[in-house]
Amino acid sequence: MTEVRYVYAVTRPFDGAATPLREDVRGVAGAPARLLAHDGLVAVLSDVPAEDFSDVALRERLEDLDWLAATARGHDAVVSALTAAATPLPLRLVTVCRDDGGVRRMLDSGRDQFTRALERLDGRVEWGVKVYAEGAEGTQERQGAAGARPGKAAVRAAGGGSAQGRRPATGRDYLKQRMRRRDATEGVWAQADAVSRTLHSELSRYAEAEQVHRPQDPRLPGAARGNVLNAAYLVPREKGEAFAEEVRRLTPPGTGIRVELTGPWAPYSFAVTTAVPAAEEGGSE
Amino acid sequence: MSGRHVDLDPDTVERDLAQLVLTVVELLRQLMERQALRRVETGDLTEEQEERIGLTLMLLEERMDELLEKFGLRPEDLNIDLGPLGPLLPRDG
Repeated sequence: MTEVRYVYAVTRPFDGAATPLREDVRGVAGAPARLLAHDGLVAVLSDVPAEDFSDVALRERLEDLDWLAATARGHDAVVSALTAAATPLPLRLVTVCRDDGGVRRMLDSGRDQFTRALERLDGRVEWGVKVYAEGAEGTQERQGAAGARPGKAAVRAAGGGSAQGRRPATGRDYLKQRMRRRDATEGVWAQADAVSRTLHSELSRYAEAEQVHRPQDPRLPGAARGNVLNAAYLVPREKGEAFAEEVRRLTPPGTGIRVELTGPWAPYSFAVTTAVPAAEEGGSE
Repeated sequence: MSGRHVDLDPDTVERDLAQLVLTVVELLRQLMERQALRRVETGDLTEEQEERIGLTLMLLEERMDELLEKFGLRPEDLNIDLGPLGPLLPRDG
């Protein structure tokens, strides 16, 4: 069975034999990862079955969400393990070379890019900060067409509504109820907006680079509703504690605003400028 | 229609059409409601007018719930993704 090389990341050589890639770290397709040193750079890769990563196979599989998710998890498992000991430059998902020679050629042709990016990322990690407007009634009750409707348990399953929907006695009561709901919703959103702005400007002082992503689409599986800020910060490793403390300090207590801090991650959000000349090596047939 | 190869399930067609129509109605209903709230706030309606508008909006909402149930639609089905412009109706989140 022929095998091709799935390349996860590029790093500098590690100090000594302190490899972070323990036996139990499994990458894409359950394969263990190994290192391939070449002229001052190290590629981290797995040997994977050629037939699963051929151009033809990939074209189908890249539309298979389950396969993509599993692959992304394998990819991240290896990159995360590396982060413990080194600063990896994560490559694009499914970067495949035909053989070790191909990997070396990729390192050579991308050398300037890799070197520059590794310098920029060296000793830095990525932290993710998300702000959610959770207490907004609009996230439970209907705000517009979405959300739950009063007294309709059957249609409300997806909305997670509260039991607030007593039928108002008069038309004027109805209008008042709508007005309160609207004000509450707008209040929480305005506060979430303010918190996000403060967080972003304060956290940016610790960060060498920031990346504000689009808020998560609540329709995605696993995504929470009401995402207002979705940002990534490139922070020097040693400032991580202070960064996390700053997030805690700026998190408003006990309101409808939730602030989520994740990390430290490999600097995925900041490796994107380094497009890899991978296409030439493509998959092998 | 025997010459067609499109698989038209009569039940789905009715439901899809209802979904489209109800989306438009819901958009109008929300616009009216927002306008009504603004006018109540500025105080240029008599109590009687407020009562009538409020009652109408409330009945419209109830009717909308019944129709949704009838066609097996969820509230979040009443929306159209306008691509770069975002959703037609505000989405909570």
